[in-house]
Amino acid sequence: MISTERQVVLEVRGLGKLFGDQDPGAVVRTGPELGTAKDPQGNTVVAAWDVDFEVAAGEAFGVIGESGSGKSTVMRMIAGDVTASAGTVRLRKRDRSRVDLLGLTPSERRALRIDELSIVHQDPADGLDLRVTAGGNIADPLTAAGWRNFGQIRERAAELLTRTEVPLDRMDDLVKTFSGGMKQRVQLARALANNPPLVLFDEPTTGLDASVAAGVLDLIRDLIESLGIAAVVVSHDFAVIEMLTSRCMVMQHGRMVEQGVTDQLLEDPIAPYTQRLVAAARA
Amino acid sequence: MSVLSIRDLRKHFVLHNVGGRRVDALHGIDLDVEAGEHVALAGSSGAGKSTLLKCVYRTDLPTAGTVIVDTDDGPVDVTALADADLVTLRGRAFGYVSQFLRAEPRRGALEIVARAGQARGMDRDEALDAAASALGRLGIDESLWDVYASVLSGGEKQRVNLAAGTISPPRLLLLDEPVSALDPSNRDAALDLIADLTDQGVAVLGVFHDLDAMRRLASRVVLMRDGRIDRVGPPDVVLDELTGVAR
Amino acid sequence: MTLVHDDELDTATPAVAAMPESTVASSLTPPEPEPVGILDEHAKREVRRAMLSAVCIPGYQVPFGSREMPVARGWGSGGLQITLALVGADDVVKVIDQGDDEGVNAVNLRRLITDTTGAEETTEVDEATVIQTRHRIPEDEPTDDQVLVLQVPVPEPLRGVERDMMELARMHAEADYARMWVSLYEDVVRNGVITKSTGYPCLVGGRYVMATTPIPRWDVPRLHQSPFLSLFGAGRERRIYAVPPLTDVEPLTFDDIPFEVERTEGATCSLCGATEAYLVEVPASRPGGEGRWTCSDTAWCRRRREQNAEEAS
Repeated sequence: MISTERQVVLEVRGLGKLFGDQDPGAVVRTGPELGTAKDPQGNTVVAAWDVDFEVAAGEAFGVIGESGSGKSTVMRMIAGDVTASAGTVRLRKRDRSRVDLLGLTPSERRALRIDELSIVHQDPADGLDLRVTAGGNIADPLTAAGWRNFGQIRERAAELLTRTEVPLDRMDDLVKTFSGGMKQRVQLARALANNPPLVLFDEPTTGLDASVAAGVLDLIRDLIESLGIAAVVVSHDFAVIEMLTSRCMVMQHGRMVEQGVTDQLLEDPIAPYTQRLVAAARA
Repeated sequence: MSVLSIRDLRKHFVLHNVGGRRVDALHGIDLDVEAGEHVALAGSSGAGKSTLLKCVYRTDLPTAGTVIVDTDDGPVDVTALADADLVTLRGRAFGYVSQFLRAEPRRGALEIVARAGQARGMDRDEALDAAASALGRLGIDESLWDVYASVLSGGEKQRVNLAAGTISPPRLLLLDEPVSALDPSNRDAALDLIADLTDQGVAVLGVFHDLDAMRRLASRVVLMRDGRIDRVGPPDVVLDELTGVAR
Repeated sequence: MTLVHDDELDTATPAVAAMPESTVASSLTPPEPEPVGILDEHAKREVRRAMLSAVCIPGYQVPFGSREMPVARGWGSGGLQITLALVGADDVVKVIDQGDDEGVNAVNLRRLITDTTGAEETTEVDEATVIQTRHRIPEDEPTDDQVLVLQVPVPEPLRGVERDMMELARMHAEADYARMWVSLYEDVVRNGVITKSTGYPCLVGGRYVMATTPIPRWDVPRLHQSPFLSLFGAGRERRIYAVPPLTDVEPLTFDDIPFEVERTEGATCSLCGATEAYLVEVPASRPGGEGRWTCSDTAWCRRRREQNAEEAS
């Protein structure tokens, strides 16, 4: 009924990562019921296992967990920074073809990062070149995508910086002179430069002052809604997940503990761990 | 068919944080709401009124039973709906107005209400017009339309909620204490708005503590007690019993 | 070296020990020596292999085992190795430094080459088979049976934007030149124009970005679809790259910022009167005096002066 109108952009099935000896037998010896992701019989760490979710255009999906939950590993596998041990990650590209990211070479992955998939990092320094101007950081993905007209590059950069509320008179300033919140906005502008269908947000406001974070979250929410991108938001902070996402999942010891509509997960958490997390957040 | 058909709806909570204590909130609710009908849920605190509303919206996950909503594309069981579809359905067909303004970004009241209209299918200009008239009708001064909603008073926020929940009348409107923080004159304007919606064919399921509001708006009152439906009837009958007023 | 047969000996055998001393001495005398090469045949073979690879992959920097040369690193050892691997007694070599045949460095290199390979030397482009240069393409364009050998100090065009060797290799391999484009963008933002003067980065054959060091912007357009082969040698950095004849060489620039060559309004060569040549400024001989301009290509300038004198008489 309603599903036919949804355009699923990201489909994650059975995603998993083993570190260390990578003994597949460790899977049954680890998990939330056993209270650990580390194999008691060896040195395999089941950082993530059996992770399933999907995100459509215009939707934001949250991944919540404490440190060690596996949420960062999941993000990094989708981003291509970590090689997955199992599963598939299907991306619907701009040309409407679907590709399993995990079957691509590192070189093909890098090509996707130009205009199909962007990442907004927790530390803006990881997603920006601090020695380059704000405009220059946006010129980077644009030229990588083949833009060769200086005037048009400037125009597009100015448009994006305006959209992310960065004062235009700072467009030619080196990014290292910007405050943390401003750096994050420039990172957002850069991530959106080539209109990628999928954007990953990794703890997008952790480390920012509360008032600054609020402004950045507003902006992210606004951008997700108005640009129709598919977003995955990873955070340990329920307030961020609540603000930005309509559906989310909770991870613990590498497994999905619960998945549902965000306000339902916060209002009526079913799993004991989720209840603990929510109670702690509400306290 | 009814806009909303609830069959044998049950809900219990298991509170793992307090040793796994089980709280039974709903014990099998059967209820229909027709188009153009305003069904008011009455009863003391803890009777299950809000829980029932939340189960229909699926903010609370029903433990058993069905909640069937008649949509433009046919009947849909909310309890069995995939998460993503529920999100879409809520935006399209449900209005939900509670006392609280959900964590809202720094947006003005006009923008919040207009966006709700757009989610329901209005185009931008239409939505802005409708938002302006809804806010005007509820007495939110134009000077407040662009101010960040978070700085509004409780009563103002509640009216913004109401405007957002009712712009482009949804098929089903769920109201959870929508006028509790309003002073008498604003309350009247709000109640008028809600009454108009029923006239326009919206199916309304509302929770009010305010007996007058119920008398004014409800076509039927459902009296709840301990998670069950105790009594159903016209407002004056049920409410008189409740208050012990003989008419 | 060959053994000389004494008329009285049938073969050069160990039986020589039994011969009279005078015949032994004459049979052991070496002939007039051929020039002693600086590069042995193995080294030449390696350089030639690198050159062939370079010609097959225009603009790609081919690593090679750069040998110790009797020229300090950074003073043309790379170009020298290419020339030594190329020339023999049949060749005629022209060597210029900043366009000048008589620069100290050019003179030394030319002597080294001719002494050790038996090749002839010249200052005239049309007489040369190989032209080695540090800074210019001669104003008289080389033809399709000549080879231009360029001495390169820094072969890596991306050096300004990346230091890590693995990352540089990846960038060239994946044609990921975004960082270069960003640095051009920053240049325009800071200075209004792209300010690179020598070593201007160019896209060769539509694939690799190459440093045109050491030639000035003036000469860059002359590489595009040139009839001659250009070989670039970097001895210190151990790289050889090439622009084969009739290859596209496009200076990197934005579509709306045309590539411009150096030009000083109203400057003419004070010796031959040329305006459409690459001119260099000669500082004033006295403080407070005026500087003047002369052609960078001294041989070309001299010929023009000779022509001017002929026409005048």
